[in-house]
Amino acid sequence: MGPRSNRVVELRIPSELGYEKIAREAVASVAYRLDFSEEKIEDIKTAISEACTNAIRYGSGSDARMKVVVILTADEDKLDILIKDPGASGTPPTNVKIPDINGMVEGKHRLGGMGLYIIRELVDEAGFVEAVDEDEGNQFRMVIYRVDDGEKAESEASASDTDNGGTTNE
Amino acid sequence: MSDEIQVLVRGEGDAIVIDLVGDVTTFAEEAINQAYQSASDDGAVNIIFNFRENDYINSAGIAILIGVVTEARKRDQKLLMTGLSAHFQKIFRMVGLTQYADLYPSVEEALASLNGEAKT
Repeated sequence: MGPRSNRVVELRIPSELGYEKIAREAVASVAYRLDFSEEKIEDIKTAISEACTNAIRYGSGSDARMKVVVILTADEDKLDILIKDPGASGTPPTNVKIPDINGMVEGKHRLGGMGLYIIRELVDEAGFVEAVDEDEGNQFRMVIYRVDDGEKAESEASASDTDNGGTTNE
Repeated sequence: MSDEIQVLVRGEGDAIVIDLVGDVTTFAEEAINQAYQSASDDGAVNIIFNFRENDYINSAGIAILIGVVTEARKRDQKLLMTGLSAHFQKIFRMVGLTQYADLYPSVEEALASLNGEAKT
């Protein structure tokens, strides 16, 4: 698989915590072959772990009979990741808050709720894709570019954001 | 598919070191909390969480550590964290955990800081 190849890898993992590590290892392998830097590979691994964990816990209620589907589309300059779950807990959150760790430590907020924030900080684009059919479940998309190219990434991210209603990392 | 984490508690200089070997995820909650409780019961004032560089830590694991921070503040304990990869140091800074626990490359350097030696 050379850097100019365009390949799609699709995984179906049981909706059970722990299986997100399969997706984590798979995406690392793909990103490595695409010559992503070590730092970006670590970022992608954490982002996909968090996204799959959300899909398992909230999108399919940790019911191992259900599946979470991960589609990795690799092209010359970016990795596009789509994570689908059955949408068991309804409409996913659209706003991402900066975690208030002081509030958590003082007991004002529950512990947790950091996954989407971490994802958005680590990848170039991240957001739920608006479902055409409500039975389709949730689809969460992330894009990470192989090389940092601020203007190019921002321009493409803005276009994608307009298309699918996702959030864009700045 | 959960991986067992091994958590070891040992005394080292002026601190209790809690070695975390394995994934720091929701499955590690009981083991980490027990280790912290054990260190506290032994009167620990300085507690070093020593991670293994290449282990997997997720946001649920970070939430467990925030829970420990909460307890440590109530008991006036000092928390230090060592052995984290550059990636997880970045994540810990990102979520604000470093407001409550200083990071050091190694247990030795954390112990040196407790003894008033320069932070490296």
